Amino acid sequence: MNGSASTTDGRGPDYLVPALIAGAAAGVLSAVPLVNCLCCLWIIGGGVLAAYLLADRTPGSLTAGDGALVGALTGMAAAVVSSIIELPLRPFNEAFVRRLAAGLSRFTQQMPSQWRDLVERGNTPRVFSPGLFLLNLFITAAIFAALGVLGGVIGVSIFGRKKAPLPSPTRPTEPPQGPPPDGTV
Amino acid sequence: MSEPSATARERPVRRAALPVFVLALAASLAWLSAILLAPYLRSRGDAAASSFLYAVFAPVCHQIPSRSFFVRGFPLAVCARCLGIYAGALAGLLAYPFVRGFSRIGLPAGRLFLLLSLPISLDFAGGAFGLWSSPNGLRAATGFAWGLILPFYFVTGVVELVLWRSGRPLANRGEKT
Repeated sequence: MNGSASTTDGRGPDYLVPALIAGAAAGVLSAVPLVNCLCCLWIIGGGVLAAYLLADRTPGSLTAGDGALVGALTGMAAAVVSSIIELPLRPFNEAFVRRLAAGLSRFTQQMPSQWRDLVERGNTPRVFSPGLFLLNLFITAAIFAALGVLGGVIGVSIFGRKKAPLPSPTRPTEPPQGPPPDGTV
Repeated sequence: MSEPSATARERPVRRAALPVFVLALAASLAWLSAILLAPYLRSRGDAAASSFLYAVFAPVCHQIPSRSFFVRGFPLAVCARCLGIYAGALAGLLAYPFVRGFSRIGLPAGRLFLLLSLPISLDFAGGAFGLWSSPNGLRAATGFAWGLILPFYFVTGVVELVLWRSGRPLANRGEKT
């Protein structure tokens, strides 16, 4: 790809490995109950992590385009991981929201009908449908990719700039003053 | 061979930046509209459409009702903090042409990012460590401040990707806001 940072062997940077590592981390964290309260910030954080890993593996400076690409891949990887992990964890997530809504309803004289509807929605067991799973995966991947782009570009702005190596001195080094230690001339 | 003029160098950037900006603006407007539409549809009794919209936002937000604003008796599709972030991103996008323009691209200064990230970080950390529980208005406000800067990263990144794909040179890279 034209314009991107390159590795020492002349090939382009390896976007896939940083994206898979960061995507797996972000996907797990965005699916686990309680931990997922950070919302979209886990995916943005995953993009930042991917940019860090990419910068660590790439000798040259990175551009915003590098960050966008690795971030988009991270978001897609996170969507796959999150969707798979969410399947067994869904009852826990729903139970958490249900408990929260039920707990809050104790503070009111009577639970409003809208709240009751919300709680009942959580009580209804959902049946797994492969078609709905794929649709959900597709939508989630698109959303996470956009959030990952954001994280990747932010990550490049933090970790992507590297100082150029100092040029070798042009002035010849002066010979040491005085006789050599062993006394030879 | 002589160097291309500044206008000639800016042309491909403008050609890429304008569509990216328009698409990002349209997506941002649709996103915010969907957040507001979910409770509205539920209040109208359209359970299928509103459930679909709530489900779309479920992967990116915890959707805890006590941390959300309500419309017509139902919680929005995202929490107050997320709403603030997305509203801030829309405001940042609307400001983009006046701040950055379309003829150059560049990432914002790191200090500005840290400054706008500080309120949301403090607000979240205080809540996470049990030091305080911010009202939803404050959550939305700190999210809004952070969301303001996000389009300047997003548009820059996507424009660079588009320019790579088309093999065009980048003009005025690395400029700071």
